[in-house]
Amino acid sequence: MNRLATAWAIFQGLLLEALPFLLIGVLIAGLARWLSPGGRWLRRLPQHPLLGPLVGAGLGFALPACECGNVPVARRLLADGAPLGTALGFLFAAPVLNPIVLASTWAAFPHQPWLLVARPLGALLLALALAAVLQQLPEGELLEPALLEERRLGQPLAVVGLLERRSGLVGAEPAQPRSSPGTPRPSWATVLDHSSREFLDLASLLVLGCAIAALVQTLLPRAWLLAVGSSPTLSVLSLMLLAVVVSVCSSVDAFLALGFAAQITPGALLAFLVLGPVVDLKLLGLFGVVLRPRAIALTAATAAVAVLLLGQWVNLALL
Amino acid sequence: MLRGLALALWGAVLLGSSLSGRLELLLRGVFHPLVALSGFVLLALGLQQALGRGTQTTNRRSWLLATAVALAVLLIPPNPSFSDLASNRSSDLGAELQLDFQLPPGQRSLTDWVRLLRSQPDPQLYAGDPVRISGFVLPQPGDRPQLGRLLVRCCLADATPIGLPVRWPAGYQPRADQWLALEGRMGVERHNGSPRSVVLVERLRPIPRPARPLEP
Repeated sequence: MNRLATAWAIFQGLLLEALPFLLIGVLIAGLARWLSPGGRWLRRLPQHPLLGPLVGAGLGFALPACECGNVPVARRLLADGAPLGTALGFLFAAPVLNPIVLASTWAAFPHQPWLLVARPLGALLLALALAAVLQQLPEGELLEPALLEERRLGQPLAVVGLLERRSGLVGAEPAQPRSSPGTPRPSWATVLDHSSREFLDLASLLVLGCAIAALVQTLLPRAWLLAVGSSPTLSVLSLMLLAVVVSVCSSVDAFLALGFAAQITPGALLAFLVLGPVVDLKLLGLFGVVLRPRAIALTAATAAVAVLLLGQWVNLALL
Repeated sequence: MLRGLALALWGAVLLGSSLSGRLELLLRGVFHPLVALSGFVLLALGLQQALGRGTQTTNRRSWLLATAVALAVLLIPPNPSFSDLASNRSSDLGAELQLDFQLPPGQRSLTDWVRLLRSQPDPQLYAGDPVRISGFVLPQPGDRPQLGRLLVRCCLADATPIGLPVRWPAGYQPRADQWLALEGRMGVERHNGSPRSVVLVERLRPIPRPARPLEP
């Protein structure tokens, strides 16, 4: 009974901390929709397989949001027709590459300057790796069906055939590409309408993720995860598992890492700080509005392998 | 209409948690204004959606679940067992507990004492100092229960326990999770072959859980 009461309290803590950030993300996405209807500027973003994700990662500095707020913004980018690589680069790198997260990392570890370079660099490498792997899948197998429909409606017919659109008016005049100057600016009421629907959709997924994270945390003794702190490989693996389970926001996870930084290897510390913002239990539900289950599984597997390698390499260099 | 009500309910959850002081039990202080502001924005958005004529809702089933959870959060306040939370956490705080300044002994909180003992761990320095602290009873495997506190950097999910060894009055059985105010002196005892500081209790008083149970 005690356990259940504790899990309920942890659930509330996680949820109440994440909801404001989710709201910020949804509002930023709504603002982007209003400022740039049809996402004209998104078309000019680079399609290049390497340059695209790099630019997407750089967008994090312009749109500061942590990982919960990041998902609705990335979804808006994709729906408005941003190049796939750019949007994926943003989705995976922006939770670390933004001023708030970098400032909190610096505040938590002022005496470890290597971390201030290694964390954003690691996040960038991970985002590039994930974008490269996920782009091997065709869009139809990668993106969540409703998002795919919205995205295809906006793409010119030269890129997507009518049958591929699966919705819209088959047989009507070929749709104008959205980049035409004719797209009207949506009214405030429409934008608020859309944002509130998006917030509620994401909130129900967040509830699910927080519930799983709270239950796993209460039932799995934390000591098991930290007990193996000193051996290089096991420490990286255990801290990766901890990052997935704890599910705290990327803007504060550095302060959490501070609590056990002295006990673990530097590679494990970096693995915790790089993996947490990309893959955790709380996020799994949220990713469902952007990616298909298979693509989510691929993301988790690729991220795990890449972060393990990164942690090992840092341990080799620093230990 | 339904969407407006659901949004307003979430707004009420956030705003209500801030106003009722529930957040003191769940989140670190720096987040409280953000939660209150978000609650206010959600309430306003909910009102706008409820009054305006919105489009048909499509995803009712998942919203219903979330709305039920929001109601449950609003109605069932959290009541975590601190000792249960602590038993599941590592308590080694490493290099972080640096002390910036020292208060006179009688004014130090439990957290101040733990920080001081970690930065200057010579028990003889503090022998005889007066101690006035409060905290909850934190059971220790293979040792007497300590008096503890939880440190929180973000939310309850990352709570880290700290504790001070206590020599309890003869015959007193401390109950896990109970909040106590202790007065006494610092003493020295041998534990596993090395000396350590221990609180020698002179007066002990059960207290209710404080309004701000978490330490930053």
